[in-house]
Amino acid sequence: MVITPVHYIIAPLIAAFAIPLLTKIHKDAARVVPGIVLFYNVIVSFVLMKHIREHGMISEVLAGWQAPWGINLVVTPFTGYLASMVSILGFIIWLYGFRFKRTLKGGEIKFYEILQMMMIAGSIGIIITGDIFNLFVFIEIVGISAFSLTAFYRSRDGAEAGFKYLLIGGFASAFLLLGIIIIYTQTGSLNMAQIAERMPDVPQQMKIIALIFFLVALGIEAEMFPLNGWAPDAYSQAPTPTSATFAAVVSVAGVYALIRVVYTMFDVEGVNNYLMIMGFVSMLIAEIAAISQKNLKRMLAYSSMGQIGLVLIAFGIGSKLAVFGALFLMLNHGVIKSLLFMTGSYFIYNTEDKKIKSLNGIYKKLPFVSFLFGLGALALIGFPPFSGFWSKFYILMSAADEKYIFLIIGILLVTVIELTYYLRVVGRIFFAKEEGEPASHKPSVNAIIAMSSLALFIIVIGVYPDLIMPHIQSAAEALLDKSNYIQQILSLN
Amino acid sequence: MEIIAIILLILLVGSFLTYFVDSFNKKWTGTTAFLIVLITAGIFFTKIKSGYQFNFQLAGLDLQWGLTDYSYYFVYIILGLSVLALLYSIKYMEGKARLGYFYGSFILTVLGMLGVVISQDFVSLFFFWEIMTWASFLLVIYNAYYKIKTKGIKYMIFSAVGAYAMFTAIVFIHVHYDTLLISEAIAKGAFNFEQYIYIPIFLLLGFGIKAAVMPFHVWAPPAYAKSPMSFTTIFSGAMSKMGVFGIGLVFTSFYLSSNPENFFWVRTILGWMGGITAVMGTIYALIQTDAKKLLAYSSVAQLGYIIVGLSTGTQLGVMAALYLAVIHAVFKGALFMVAGAVEKQAGTTDMTQISGLIRKMPYTFVVALVSIIALAGVPPLGGFVGKWLLYEALITESNNYILVVVVFFSSTAAFMYSYRFLFGLFLGQEEKETEHVKEAPATMIIPMIILAIIATVAGAYPGLIFEPAAKAMQAIGFQDVTWQMSSLTNVWGDTTDLFLIAMLIFAVFIISFVFLTLKGLKKTRYVGTKDISTSGELPKEWENLTFQLDFFKPFERAAAPLYKMDMNKIWKDLGKNLEAFFGFFRKIYTGNGQTYALYIVIFLVVLLLFRDVLFS
Amino acid sequence: MEGIFIKILGAFLTAILAFVVGMLYGGLRRKVIARAQNRVGPPIHQNFLDLMKLQAKRTNIAHGFMGHMAPVWIIIAAMTVLMFIPILHGNLWFENLTMKGDLIFLLYMMVFGSLGMALGAGQSGNPNSAMGVSRGLAQLVGFEIPFFLALIALMIQFNTTSIAVLMDHQEATGRWIIVDNPFAFIAALLASLGMFRYAPFDIVGAPAELASGPRSEFGGKYLGTMMTGGAVFAFIKLVMYVDLFLGGAGNNNLEGLAGTALGLVELLVKTFLLYMIPVFIGLVTPRFRTEQAIQFFWKWPTFFGILAIVWALYKNGTIG
Repeated sequence: MVITPVHYIIAPLIAAFAIPLLTKIHKDAARVVPGIVLFYNVIVSFVLMKHIREHGMISEVLAGWQAPWGINLVVTPFTGYLASMVSILGFIIWLYGFRFKRTLKGGEIKFYEILQMMMIAGSIGIIITGDIFNLFVFIEIVGISAFSLTAFYRSRDGAEAGFKYLLIGGFASAFLLLGIIIIYTQTGSLNMAQIAERMPDVPQQMKIIALIFFLVALGIEAEMFPLNGWAPDAYSQAPTPTSATFAAVVSVAGVYALIRVVYTMFDVEGVNNYLMIMGFVSMLIAEIAAISQKNLKRMLAYSSMGQIGLVLIAFGIGSKLAVFGALFLMLNHGVIKSLLFMTGSYFIYNTEDKKIKSLNGIYKKLPFVSFLFGLGALALIGFPPFSGFWSKFYILMSAADEKYIFLIIGILLVTVIELTYYLRVVGRIFFAKEEGEPASHKPSVNAIIAMSSLALFIIVIGVYPDLIMPHIQSAAEALLDKSNYIQQILSLN
Repeated sequence: MEIIAIILLILLVGSFLTYFVDSFNKKWTGTTAFLIVLITAGIFFTKIKSGYQFNFQLAGLDLQWGLTDYSYYFVYIILGLSVLALLYSIKYMEGKARLGYFYGSFILTVLGMLGVVISQDFVSLFFFWEIMTWASFLLVIYNAYYKIKTKGIKYMIFSAVGAYAMFTAIVFIHVHYDTLLISEAIAKGAFNFEQYIYIPIFLLLGFGIKAAVMPFHVWAPPAYAKSPMSFTTIFSGAMSKMGVFGIGLVFTSFYLSSNPENFFWVRTILGWMGGITAVMGTIYALIQTDAKKLLAYSSVAQLGYIIVGLSTGTQLGVMAALYLAVIHAVFKGALFMVAGAVEKQAGTTDMTQISGLIRKMPYTFVVALVSIIALAGVPPLGGFVGKWLLYEALITESNNYILVVVVFFSSTAAFMYSYRFLFGLFLGQEEKETEHVKEAPATMIIPMIILAIIATVAGAYPGLIFEPAAKAMQAIGFQDVTWQMSSLTNVWGDTTDLFLIAMLIFAVFIISFVFLTLKGLKKTRYVGTKDISTSGELPKEWENLTFQLDFFKPFERAAAPLYKMDMNKIWKDLGKNLEAFFGFFRKIYTGNGQTYALYIVIFLVVLLLFRDVLFS
Repeated sequence: MEGIFIKILGAFLTAILAFVVGMLYGGLRRKVIARAQNRVGPPIHQNFLDLMKLQAKRTNIAHGFMGHMAPVWIIIAAMTVLMFIPILHGNLWFENLTMKGDLIFLLYMMVFGSLGMALGAGQSGNPNSAMGVSRGLAQLVGFEIPFFLALIALMIQFNTTSIAVLMDHQEATGRWIIVDNPFAFIAALLASLGMFRYAPFDIVGAPAELASGPRSEFGGKYLGTMMTGGAVFAFIKLVMYVDLFLGGAGNNNLEGLAGTALGLVELLVKTFLLYMIPVFIGLVTPRFRTEQAIQFFWKWPTFFGILAIVWALYKNGTIG
């Protein structure tokens, strides 16, 4: 095997150091190189996915130290699925933003591209690492990139949002570290598989306290209520590709970390109910908050939190079908929300402010972008024949299997709220009387390609979901088969 | 590839094709859309026969598409009306903006409706149901400019609540009965009102909202009135019938059931909801001053009759419902087309603005006259047959004597708005403002006339509709449905011979026309509407003699208590209160980093305090 | 062949009978009212004279196509309904089409003429006409409710919706329906006051106020035709009430012409007595406003109508 999981990490790291040098040779290098790296990651994903389909999961040990002592990277169908998804979306987001920042000065664009790339690479790292300390490290990498990107515009609001994010991210790091320390003292290991194996011997109280620290810390990353105060500000102040990355990549990594800890490491009762209830509360509050937003990006941010809430509900239900639905929804959310942020940012460019009310009749100026936004909105709400329908369908199906009738009704009512505010925006875009000047910022070719490919995905998967379903199915199986995971990792090393 | 999939694909591709034809050449958009649906209809009716079935797997689910006699009955409505509406649409929409958008969504709506009736499993049903809903939403907001927030969204919220109620029912059918096929669900008694009664109730809620049943009808009048008329034809004529279709489907268990007592409550409640819908629709229709709104409320009322018919569960009653479903599509389709023609030619359908168009738009008037007579249920036109069946079903078979009076009240009061519609647009004073108005173009007149002819023929030969309707009834659980080509018989053996009546009326008409009117027509000259005998004085040119405002004020005064119950306001208040409530919750996100940090700490502390309760 | 001949001839006979009787009753009413007001009043045949005058007139101006059609509609409605009402029970000459249409059909067909006239009146552009139509339609909704209730009561009490079968039933039992279900009769009678549009329900064509309302733009032959139609309709309503509640006419055992003659006499007596009720009530009452009229019909007559249904259910054993 030529390509190994470590390429995911190495390539961006090398590139991050190389970019400042390469910009000296050619000023466009800062923009091109991350694309090459991210594209390479996509190739790595495909190769690895092919490999694990044929030969089973991969556990790569770094620096020759065997688990439990060494640092290992694990690609199972589950992590492979998420890593592929993240890298593909990361690449598309890069493609979208390729000419986006041309107006900025060379110095800044360099940092933007590096941070953006590191954020994506760090997210992949979170997903494929098999060791909780590394998890912490990658979360820090993502966090630091994210803080800086949030404050990238150096405006007052941006700085404030970045600072809030930093503050709350600090809490997350501290609690996560506390959790890791407790676990390490109790089990003597940092390897997830080994921790999981030893977990039954840990005293119950210790286990629960450690779990609570993990839940709070990773809940912050996964945008769970009431820990998600940072999110609306960060989403709305960051540059748009970064907002899309938050929605499509960072939140996916956050949810992954939470789920990995809850599903694999701990064996505590009641945590499923916790996820379900908190997921529902997150979803409800986020959607309620979204309906009265006046700023488009904030509205999208709240909507993201709502979607993540639904993902958590599905993980809380915990049946195979539910996990399947949750993974499907993570994919859909990543794709659709990226599309919404991408199209939304063109609206924002063409208006004075970021307010929803200045979107009136923007369809006339940006027909194609408006069309894609409408498509994304319908897909996100879960209308057929778009991909969003199927994920919602399976989640509700799984809830029904467990006979959670009120949960279903609750989710559907929240969906009605969601639908209300999305369609208000869509209605405005297409039908309100337009105001102001014709568009000054037409979408560039690369952005159109990026957005169209996402839209194409939405439609194709919506009409023919069988295209992607086997992968998600095996990912769900891999996540739920905990003993196999432990056994494989410990024996593979 | 299966033929049904090809048909749906033609529509899907056709939708996009129309969209792109529009950006290429605006003149051909309408024609393209018309041809696409015409071809689809052609293929459908020639290639697909009732009993056709197609099984396949998608997304790990066993899906089934196919056609029973029952669904085929609705295909006639959908495709027949769509073809005519699109033909009408070519000229009606000419010169308007966003034609590609309009026709693309139009074809998608047709696709959705067709999909709904060919679905034999619940997943496809829901799938197409939602496509139909959002595609039609796009058309509802087409004209809405500043009203999106209220009109369009109201439609969408109600539709979504309905669709999600349906969806809840569907997932529980899957859980409790382990099937997604409609036929199996019926066979396993999912809709029997025995064990899990929320399943049929949720389904009925979903379909009922689409059929604009009280108290969920508030979306319908504005949505019907605000959409472009060529679409409202389909919207009111065919799409509302999808709700009827679904209710019939759920009630199949009832019609099949050996112990109908189980269904007593549901059918009584639904019947009364239908009856009240009819009354409310009617009394609100007759106070409207906009012809489109009048028709919209009237549609709601007519759907009420259909619901009443379905809820009787007797042979005549269901026959009445199915017959009315078709005849309502026919005459209401024609009437909306008339309203559209007037709108197109005269610029508005506000009856306080225009009047006296009869001499300017004679063909349109004739169509309006015929359709209104059919709507009012006066013999010898098709509408009477439906009314007759409904009354006789309620009196002779289902013994629902009070409900029949409610229905009768509604349909008598319907005379008022029927007259109002004709008078308001076509009769009355000829105003200066409408002098320029011309007759609508031929492609708009032809579909209207076709519909008017159908309404007329159905009056003498209702058997032409009874035949497929009887087959459809056999498909949803009735046995040996009897019908005659041109006469009506109830269970007590009383008959009404429609052919004879039609002939008699025709004969008297010819005789009196020839001997009385023909001479008058030749020998007299037309003097205009100012030359009238008002107390022996000739009114001056400037005198305003138009009587259009508060046309039925005396009735309004007499029926004042009925007007007090305004569902619209109740829902609006609910919406406002909810938003205020949401606004309160939004304040959780203060925007202050310290508060957020505090939340985290509090949350952590709470978790730690209650750790024993939460986790074990 | 002979059957058809008899039918056609019978139809003509029926029409002539209805015309003559209706016109005479109209004249009679004028006479009665005049006498009550201590006037001499016109002769009984005055309506025929009026009609002849109107028919002799030449019409020069018109108010459009619907104006031309209005009298035709009225004739259609009058003739059609007439053909479906049994004049004499079991009489071959007056059988017409009585078994071919039931009460629901009659109920709707009776509206046909009014709607036609309303349309004709509407096209004239005279606001008085439109106002009259508006009031007329509103009042229609008022009195149709108790009338319909009464009809339902009869239908469910005797399990039929056919007027001919109801007559058969009365002949067979020898008991009039007014005895079997008095409440239905009361409800229907009160409704009939509105149907005849005499005072207190004459606001529709209120002469002093609306210049005779819907008819105000018609003259000459058309007005004559409308008068004829009105007369025939008065006859139709009376015969219908007699058929429904008073046992009909012609239930004698005499054969041939004598039987027919006796039946006709019976019919005339019954209809005359019935006709006098609205006429006399009209004499002594002022005029209701439209909303008052509607509210009147929705109170007591409707109450009696519901009572009639309860009574019918009690009688046929569904309740009690």
